[in-house]
Amino acid sequence: MRGTPATAVDATGVADPTAATSLNAAARPDTNDTAGARRIGDAFRAAGHAGRAALIPYVVAGYPDYEGSLAAACAAIDAGADLLEIGLPYSDPLADGATLQRASRAALLAGATLDRSLTLVARVAAARPGVPIVTMGYANQLIGGGDGRLRAASLAAAGASGVIVADLTPDEGGPFEAVAAAAGLAVIYLVAPTTAPDRLRTVAGRSGGFLYCVSLVGVTGARSSLPPSVRGLVASVRAVSPVPVAVGFGVSRPAHVRALAASGADGVIVASALVDALGAGGTDVDAMAALVRSLRAATAR
Amino acid sequence: MSAPPSPPAPSRSGGRGRAGVVAEIAARRRVDVRAELAGLDRSELRRMVRAAPEPRPIAERLAAPGLHVIAEIKRGSPSAGAIAVAGEDVVARARAYQRGGAAAISVLCEPHWFGGSIADLSAVRTAVSLPVLAKDFVVESRQLDLLRAAGADLVLLLAVLHPGPRLARLVDRALALGLEPLVEAHDEREVEGSLATRARLIGINNRNLRTLEVDPERAATLRALVPEDRLVIAESGVRDPATVRGWRALGFDAALIGEALVRSGDPEAAVRAFVAAGRPPTDPANRDRVPFVKICGVTDAAGIDAAVRAGADAVGLNLVPGTPRALELREAVELAERLRAIAPPNKRPAIVPITVDLPADELNRIGRALDADAIQLSGHEPAALIASVDRPVWKVLHLPASIAGAGQDALAADAVAAAHAHRSAGAARIMLDTAGGPHPGGTGVRVAAGLVAAVARAVPVTLAGGLDPASAGPALRAAPVVGVDVTSGVEAPREHGRRPVKDPLRVALFVKRARAARIDRPNLSIRPTPVHPGLLDVDDHGRWGMERDFGGRYVPETLMGALEQLETAYDAIRHDPRFWTELNDLLGRFAGRPTALYRADRLAGAVRDEAQRLLATEPTGRLRQPASADAGGALPRIRLYLKREDLAHTGAHKINNALGQALLTRRLGKTRVIAETGAGQHGVATATACALLGLPCVVFMGEEDIQRQAPNVLRMRALGAEVRSVTSGTATLNDAVNEAMRDWVTNVETTHYVLGSAMGPHPYPTIVRDFQRRIGDEAARQLFDVEGRLPDMALACVGGGSNAIGLLARFIGEPSVRLAVAEAAGDGLETGRHAAAIAGGTAGILHGSRSLMLQDEDGQVVEAHSASAGLDYPGVGPQLAALAEAGRLEVATATDREAIAAMRTVTRMEGILPALETAHAVAALPKLLAGLEGSGRLLPDRALVLLGFSGRGDKDLAALERFGEVDTWEGIT
Repeated sequence: MRGTPATAVDATGVADPTAATSLNAAARPDTNDTAGARRIGDAFRAAGHAGRAALIPYVVAGYPDYEGSLAAACAAIDAGADLLEIGLPYSDPLADGATLQRASRAALLAGATLDRSLTLVARVAAARPGVPIVTMGYANQLIGGGDGRLRAASLAAAGASGVIVADLTPDEGGPFEAVAAAAGLAVIYLVAPTTAPDRLRTVAGRSGGFLYCVSLVGVTGARSSLPPSVRGLVASVRAVSPVPVAVGFGVSRPAHVRALAASGADGVIVASALVDALGAGGTDVDAMAALVRSLRAATAR
Repeated sequence: MSAPPSPPAPSRSGGRGRAGVVAEIAARRRVDVRAELAGLDRSELRRMVRAAPEPRPIAERLAAPGLHVIAEIKRGSPSAGAIAVAGEDVVARARAYQRGGAAAISVLCEPHWFGGSIADLSAVRTAVSLPVLAKDFVVESRQLDLLRAAGADLVLLLAVLHPGPRLARLVDRALALGLEPLVEAHDEREVEGSLATRARLIGINNRNLRTLEVDPERAATLRALVPEDRLVIAESGVRDPATVRGWRALGFDAALIGEALVRSGDPEAAVRAFVAAGRPPTDPANRDRVPFVKICGVTDAAGIDAAVRAGADAVGLNLVPGTPRALELREAVELAERLRAIAPPNKRPAIVPITVDLPADELNRIGRALDADAIQLSGHEPAALIASVDRPVWKVLHLPASIAGAGQDALAADAVAAAHAHRSAGAARIMLDTAGGPHPGGTGVRVAAGLVAAVARAVPVTLAGGLDPASAGPALRAAPVVGVDVTSGVEAPREHGRRPVKDPLRVALFVKRARAARIDRPNLSIRPTPVHPGLLDVDDHGRWGMERDFGGRYVPETLMGALEQLETAYDAIRHDPRFWTELNDLLGRFAGRPTALYRADRLAGAVRDEAQRLLATEPTGRLRQPASADAGGALPRIRLYLKREDLAHTGAHKINNALGQALLTRRLGKTRVIAETGAGQHGVATATACALLGLPCVVFMGEEDIQRQAPNVLRMRALGAEVRSVTSGTATLNDAVNEAMRDWVTNVETTHYVLGSAMGPHPYPTIVRDFQRRIGDEAARQLFDVEGRLPDMALACVGGGSNAIGLLARFIGEPSVRLAVAEAAGDGLETGRHAAAIAGGTAGILHGSRSLMLQDEDGQVVEAHSASAGLDYPGVGPQLAALAEAGRLEVATATDREAIAAMRTVTRMEGILPALETAHAVAALPKLLAGLEGSGRLLPDRALVLLGFSGRGDKDLAALERFGEVDTWEGIT
């Protein structure tokens, strides 16, 4: 673990915004040095000690409705999740494929709001305290016209350990990292097959808790097979990342999980496939849980 | 006259080495020339040369502004065969060329392949008063004597025929004979060889000598290798005047035009057309684009003559004792008198004595003696002195030549403060020069570029010290200085113990290079702009605004590499005249630019009547400045000018950006194009550009827009584009952008996303603004031509903002011009069903950048509502948001019904059917005029209003039907 002291952020939790906009500014708050990042790190370590890659299922908050998503979240954990990712439904999810777009829209139509999503996070965290929760959303939900300090604080208060922002990179993430660090929340960045090698090192160095490795060039959504290049990608990302590497996008079958675990991934993220498993109405929790169990069984190295 | 040529068929395959066909011709020429010279002994040759007429100078003429035409006479060529009629009268043709305005005439002397002769050369030389170029294959030194004896003033030397040292010797021999050598190169190696000689004229031939094929790209590539202190002539490959316009923009000084003239039935008219195409464009609205030029330290009459001929704006006469160029007052008076005697009165350079630390009475005495136009203070004079000087004062500020980075800001701040102090004390001009050095008044070393730029952004300054013809252009592009001043950089090699003198060619070249430096580079900053830099351009992080809190790059990581690649590619072309020349050529010949500026008098009257009516019916209290209206006084009359983008190809301004980005796609090496579209105009423009350049194109369009803009969907399909229906969300523009982004994320390695508005992640807002700003740049020029000034208000409709920022960019730094936009108010702002991101939105992140947008408290994007598909978008570009936030932009709105009423009114009053988007701007104008929206300020009487008439309304006829009950403005029949 890296050792930037927490004193890089002043008492108000406000970092120097001018320093934070630069990709390589020297002194910055480190969201990997937060309580949230430590909980995430512990979960990856525990899976690793058990000879497995960590499994990170994803549920959309409020899909198909509030209670339905609560049931799905708890079922996913009970079926073997090491960490849980909860998606905050967004009106314009431009990194998401058809499945998650549909789920997001359905959740919003069913009355999902940020407050209710936070309540969901809090209830899952209370019900299943052993499994760290990371939330996933878009920059306008979390940062918008400000620096995101209120959102970071309420996510942390609800019990989230980390946050993934689909359209935020370290280039713009400095101010948000500062407020997230002050709230004890890890900011998890993504790397993609298009990320240049020198940039890879920088992004990995800025990610808190773990690093989200996008397996393919494209949007989210279940694929029947992963690109053959993913093995080399995982190796090169792991070689430079100081934090665990979890692979997502397209991962849908036990065979994918097995291959990724074998290639050295510290974790795998499965999202669209689970939403698909919930069925057209989004209510088939048993089918989803069955898929989680079979994915979990494939995480052994 | 020789018979028409029947050249031996040139062989196109190898076996002859580098020179190919040329070597074959040269070998034959060697045999001929030796035979000719065999009958002449050396003294006879010398006698013939002495008897030849005086050489006619050419170099200085080519150093005049613009591109000059060297018109060629030839009877045939290996590439074209016989192209002129047997026995054609070359003399008559030469005279026609001269009447057409050619700068010189080239005569082919080679008999076997080109049907030429030295006799042709002599005949032409006698018949015209222009210099004549001997277009021969010079194979040995004595051939030069023969050509000079026949009257040649210039001679062509082919680098390909001669190894370096021999080429240099031929150049020296030609110069000694008074023959101006034009050394022709075809590739990088030959250019290098040519530059190693003393030749002042370098020719670049676009023809591949082995294949005889013409490659116009070659000219552009090779031109960049020749330093700016040589004259560069383009040869081969002229199709039409547009080629010549392109070469002028690339910095060629002349074009050798042969076949295109020989084949023309009216050679005089043909030459005239090419000469016109070679003239630099004038732009009265952007006068600082052509910088002020001062020639300083002139020491003799020849120097005065050179400065006057070159068209300098000022001549400096040094009166500082002990400096190398110091003049006695008496000498200075004589030079000033000479200048007055020879200069045309309307273009006389200013006479400026240079002084150091003299008292006021002494300065006034000097001023009187010279009748000086200004007095330059080059010492450490206090600002207070200026008030006592009875003529305009030009003050030199000294800056260190090299400084450590950290101290630069402080130095710049000091210099700006000093400049302001001298300007407020009355100084008419501030010059920046290096301090210290052996002589006061300049050290010939240029001040650090960053420091100059920092000062020049804040105050108008003239750059002095260390400049020469080669560095003037780069210096002017690096900093928004308003002028340049040169001393030693335009002098002849100095002779020991003598005062330095000017080299007339270098003087002319300096003026030419300085004046041309910023033309064809539309995005260069050219002078200080009295607004925060964040309103004009992004910072290093792609952010706009006084707090730099708009813009940026909020995208999935997958796209970051592509955006960085795009930024790098765009940085490389942003100031590349080759790119802009290619684009301008396309926009001119293909897209119909410049578009018209039309004064709509009937509409102007109707706008005023409508404004009066609005005021009369408006509940009191909203008018912030009610004075003029309720005093029974009438609202100001306006002169309304429509910038007719509806006349551009495809019917809207969108083609400007689509063509630019299509060319950019080629530079990026990408093979597929995607675009989003709302009203379909950007989709049609992109499909058009892709059809033109042969690129596959996919356009994303919301299903609802597909329904309401059906004609444009058919157009896109006819152009070969695939239109993909987007059904997610509200199935409008916002969702089309989302879907285009998703496609881009998936296909980023092969695909360029041609974003249609000045929004999105950095660098898109800059790119689209740069491609669209020609709307306002053109309009400013056109308005200046008819009104002699800039508008009082510029107004455009705004959705994402490409049309608005395109019109307004030119005027952001003009405090006298009010900037206004019209947003779509849909069913009315108060209903919440609108598309007014500025008037009714808040700061947030949408489609890759932070700007103003419609959203709820959770940050969910709120649907936009507008009958106009092109404005039906919940965000706005970050530069416009920054302008609005800074109070530099006035915002007005128009509802669907108001826009329809305006659309009907414009159509009925002016016979122009506007796009529904455009109609919003027209609808907002009466409200702005009445002071009901925007800043509430009233315009002066006879105000000039420039309205961006963004597109034509054929696509919106269905909307007119839909709103059948909405009528024109009241009183319109």
